[in-house]
Amino acid sequence: MVNGKSFKLRFGLRSKLLLLSSFLFIIPWFGYQYVWEMEKYLRFGQEQTLVGTARALATALHERENLFNNQASFLPNVEQGKDLYGYKLTQAVQLDGLHSDWPDFNQRTHFYHHQQQLFAKEPLSVNFKASVGKYDNYLYLFFQVVDNQIIFRGKNNRSITNNDHLALSFSDNNNQLNRFIISNKQAGWISAFNITNDESNIPAPAPHIQGHWLLTPQGYNVELRVPLDNLGDNIAFAFYDVDKADSEAVSAIGSADPSIEENLGTIVVPSPEIERIVKGMRYTNSSIWVVDQHHRVLASAGSLKSASGVWHAKEQLPKEEEKKSLWYQFKQQLLLPLYYKILTKPSTDFIDQLYDEQHLKGSHIINALSGKATSQWRLTTDKQALVLSAAYPIFINNQVLGAVIVEETTNGIRTLRNRALEKLFTVILAIMSLGALTFLLFASRISSRIRHLSNQAELAIDKQGRIIGQMEASSSNDEIGDLSRSFTTAVNRLSEYNHYLENMSSRLSHELRTPIAVVKTSLENLSLLEEKKHQSDKNNSPYIERAQAGINTLNLILTNMSEATRLEQMLATTEKIDFDLQQVINGCISGYQQIYPATKFSFENKINSPKTSTFLLHGSPEHIVQLLDKVISNSVEFSQDNIITIELQKSDNNAELSISNNGILLPEKLSESLFDSMVSLRDKSQKDCSKQAVPHLGLGLYISRLICQFHHGKISAYNHQKPDGVTVQISLPIKV
Amino acid sequence: MTKRIAIVEDEAAIRENYADVLRSQGYQVQTYANRSTATQAFNLRLPNLVILDIGLNEEYDGGFVLCQQLRAKSATLPIIFLTARDNDFDTVSGLRIGADDYLTKDISLPHLTARISALFRRQEALKQPINDEHITRSGALTVDSQRMSITWQNKSVDLTITEFWLVHALAKHPGHVKNRTQLMTDSKIYVDDSTITSHIKRIRKKFMQNDSNFDCIETIYGMGYRWLSANNATVEKN
Repeated sequence: MVNGKSFKLRFGLRSKLLLLSSFLFIIPWFGYQYVWEMEKYLRFGQEQTLVGTARALATALHERENLFNNQASFLPNVEQGKDLYGYKLTQAVQLDGLHSDWPDFNQRTHFYHHQQQLFAKEPLSVNFKASVGKYDNYLYLFFQVVDNQIIFRGKNNRSITNNDHLALSFSDNNNQLNRFIISNKQAGWISAFNITNDESNIPAPAPHIQGHWLLTPQGYNVELRVPLDNLGDNIAFAFYDVDKADSEAVSAIGSADPSIEENLGTIVVPSPEIERIVKGMRYTNSSIWVVDQHHRVLASAGSLKSASGVWHAKEQLPKEEEKKSLWYQFKQQLLLPLYYKILTKPSTDFIDQLYDEQHLKGSHIINALSGKATSQWRLTTDKQALVLSAAYPIFINNQVLGAVIVEETTNGIRTLRNRALEKLFTVILAIMSLGALTFLLFASRISSRIRHLSNQAELAIDKQGRIIGQMEASSSNDEIGDLSRSFTTAVNRLSEYNHYLENMSSRLSHELRTPIAVVKTSLENLSLLEEKKHQSDKNNSPYIERAQAGINTLNLILTNMSEATRLEQMLATTEKIDFDLQQVINGCISGYQQIYPATKFSFENKINSPKTSTFLLHGSPEHIVQLLDKVISNSVEFSQDNIITIELQKSDNNAELSISNNGILLPEKLSESLFDSMVSLRDKSQKDCSKQAVPHLGLGLYISRLICQFHHGKISAYNHQKPDGVTVQISLPIKV
Repeated sequence: MTKRIAIVEDEAAIRENYADVLRSQGYQVQTYANRSTATQAFNLRLPNLVILDIGLNEEYDGGFVLCQQLRAKSATLPIIFLTARDNDFDTVSGLRIGADDYLTKDISLPHLTARISALFRRQEALKQPINDEHITRSGALTVDSQRMSITWQNKSVDLTITEFWLVHALAKHPGHVKNRTQLMTDSKIYVDDSTITSHIKRIRKKFMQNDSNFDCIETIYGMGYRWLSANNATVEKN
């Protein structure tokens, strides 16, 4: 049974408690959820803040017409190529005709071809790309011209238009048209001339327009700059292509006709005034853009990479002594790597889409430009960071003329969240390990107490169900203590009952003895009377004799019944002496040979030691004899071939005595209980043919066991095969 | 002179049965059912022999109390315990407080009467001078079969009738093994083996009170006991 149980998965109290305590894991989950909620709330807050920032900035720009007095801002629509946008250059550009120092040159150019041609007498053989930039107080222009035939101005040529030249016109601050022609005699520094509508006027050199003319395999590049201080809102440029030396231009291509003031396109450059206002907001840890209604950036401040929101608190660097502490080391080397398997550190190194400053895109901008303040969340292109953008319209005369766009990453919040989670994890880890430890200890304590109790209960009752020990009642004041106490009470009561049962036969015999004595004495009196009456004829009273025989048997039974109890009482007062087991056995065997003449006893002493002290026992030899009597008489009765083999050998500190007879085997069921009180194996037929008139009560082997126990020995019986039979094994400790 | 025997026994049937058989033997028998009536009668006149039961009605140890009272009155009055209690403890207690014999109720009536007459004989013999005819000597042991007394090394050993018969049976043929059944027949009792064992033990103790080196009763394991005369003992030892 016990073995069978151990194969099953044992689900002990401890594992159950641990399983139950695993529900505690919900707490960190709740904590995690809570932090997420908090983050959501913070994001919402950030959104509001961002919209607020955008509104504040927009408020500063509302109704400030003079900031938007560029014509372009008021145009209902802009025409690509004609209405220009001067990109804000972040570093100085060298006027060398090379576009290598122009950032994002290819994205920021416009290609001019036949659609932008002003006139063409011959098939168009020229086209160009143009890019406009602003740096410091200059407007930079770069032209990459493709021309099959480059004709410079003749050395002594008075005309400045009979060669490939660039015409540039812009309005000044007073809305006066300024016209220039760049017409070079050779590649190198450009020669700019100021011309007027009046063609008779001699073109005057315009040294404030500087630049470089560079020949390229496809044609030529022109890079030039114009000071901003006298630059209005309108601009136009056109290239005139001359294919034969000293002849009229055959075709012209450009943003607009530079000679007609009304045709001039507009130019927008990032407004220094707005930028100044915006700069005031750059401490908000946001990236700010101001766009006009054509999505063109008027001003910008801050970079998205450093724009992690107001929540971004500077991380406190730990103090030196803190760094050395064991806890810090543990946290850095063990806990944090563990946490960041789940958490992600917000990256400051994300890659985001590039903004076309000439045309910012996004639904929030469109919404803002239609008058609605909106915000939106988006992931950066590499999905490393989440960007929050808010757009707010700028109203001038009830018209939306622009929008403020504020962008921030959520890195601040994420850092904050991470730090909160770190702390949460640490605290939870501590609580959990402490809790688990406490649970484990508690469960261990309880299970050990219960196990102790179960062991006690098991030890109190032996296999035969006898109470062999007392249980110690626990004094603890809880349920297990109660259990222990009720166990103790139960065991005590059971012990009392057992004792009652064990004494039952003796009590019964005692109680029966008086009535039997009555019958017996009466019968004896009767027989004495009979004897006197019929002295000559004794056989006249067979009934009295039968009754006497019966009552004698009954008396014998009663004596046998109380034998065990009397033996127990006697053993309790028996003094132990030293004696030699071998001598006792030798004596007994010769005695048995006389008692059972038909049976052959063969005694095998496995140790042929002459020393008599080999089997020196401390006990009561008389009782050992009684034990042998019982076992031998049992063996003789069950023997079929009338041979009893007795073996004596020494193992460790025990004298092993085995008595075997050949005959019927023990039934498996009974082998354990054979030595119990009132257990008899004899079946009916055996009882019938048994010569003895005294029935067997099954006390013989019980008495054997009592004697063995008195000597701290063991007795057991087992079957042996070939030939079949039973061996009774007695093991008695030898006195050392 | 007719001997007067008093029976104190709470069970009427047994009491009367014993009384009847004893009367048929020619004794004068008085029966008492409880201690108080017995005490009253004994205060008036002591009988020649008393047969006592231990448990008397409600009094668990009434017999013992009565025995002590009687012993206080007379040191020589033969007292026999006849009881259903067969345990060692009661036997020892009964004999210790001065009973001459301790018998269990499964004893047969002839055995009982034999014992009673033996007790009376002993009493009679004590009044007469010592008759050498009845005395057998073997080593340090002297057995007076008439007085039923035994001396060891010229010191008297106080034995009950049963014990005397046991020693007598053993010492009659020194060196011969007597098994338990034989001993039971000789001592006119029928008990189980372990009771014989405890009888022998008690006898040994009584001898040892006089002579701590006493070892004349030898246990032959599995067979029985034998008496070793002093000569035999020395021979065995050599």
